[in-house]
Amino acid sequence: MEEQKLSTEESLLLITSMINKAKNSYYESGLGALLWGFTNLICFVLAFLKDTHRILFPFNPFILMIITFILQLYFDSREKKNKKAINYLDDIHKYIWYAFAVSVLILTLVGGYTQIGYIVLPVLLVLFAIPTFISGCIKKFTPLIVGGIGCWVLSILAFVNKDQYSSYLLVAAGATIAWIIPGFILRANFKKQMQQEHGV
Amino acid sequence: MEFKELDPILHAPLRLAVMSLLLSVREAEFTFIKEKTNSTAGNLSVQITKLKDVGYIEVTKQFNNNYPQTICRITPKGLEAFELYVKALQGYIHGGDDKK
Repeated sequence: MEEQKLSTEESLLLITSMINKAKNSYYESGLGALLWGFTNLICFVLAFLKDTHRILFPFNPFILMIITFILQLYFDSREKKNKKAINYLDDIHKYIWYAFAVSVLILTLVGGYTQIGYIVLPVLLVLFAIPTFISGCIKKFTPLIVGGIGCWVLSILAFVNKDQYSSYLLVAAGATIAWIIPGFILRANFKKQMQQEHGV
Repeated sequence: MEFKELDPILHAPLRLAVMSLLLSVREAEFTFIKEKTNSTAGNLSVQITKLKDVGYIEVTKQFNNNYPQTICRITPKGLEAFELYVKALQGYIHGGDDKK
């Protein structure tokens, strides 16, 4: 490549092609989406079964979130080591999810403490939708966009429903369409990409 | 019409490819640049050193799981030089000429 001279057209083509190569270099394993998707699904289904006295559960199912948080930290550190480039969009993406996590924490902790009731659940679905929809738009990944819109629709149902117990199931459905389904698609794409790049 | 001279540091295929790549990311590892530019480690290493020597990129060496890692990122000086280079290229195109 070196020492051969470039024409202006060749220079511009080279610049464009390199910028496109960098733009398409996302590292998205789908693990985070699957991890949080399944945790939310399990927690909200268990909360429904426990609160409707269908099962006896020895502890608050939402304690499982702490385990998931620790697992997430582990996966993050592992993925950081495998990441060969950090995109500017990666940073934006990260801050959006941080803001989401803080908002959910405030809503659930303060909401639980003040016992404001069912309203926490539709608001939670609205919050689920925001980062999911933005992530989908940033990555031009339709399943996440659809997942985000789906959560907004489910939040309307939960607002109208006004029933805490059945709203648990709506949140579980929200986690499935926002993270579990897109997570499986992301995981499949990631594995395909790894096979193409490294033959593994 | 007078044409601006193209920056000789940037007007070389591999160095231009490296700069264009680094322009789009916050930072990138040597292996990533090598893979995307389809270059050899030796040639890439020489060109990265040239870019580093003129202050267009910043190079950090570190260890990851006991393996050496070279991280490159574009500097404000490199960004400015790249912008000037693109402006100069536009001048050639709008001038209807092509400097080989």
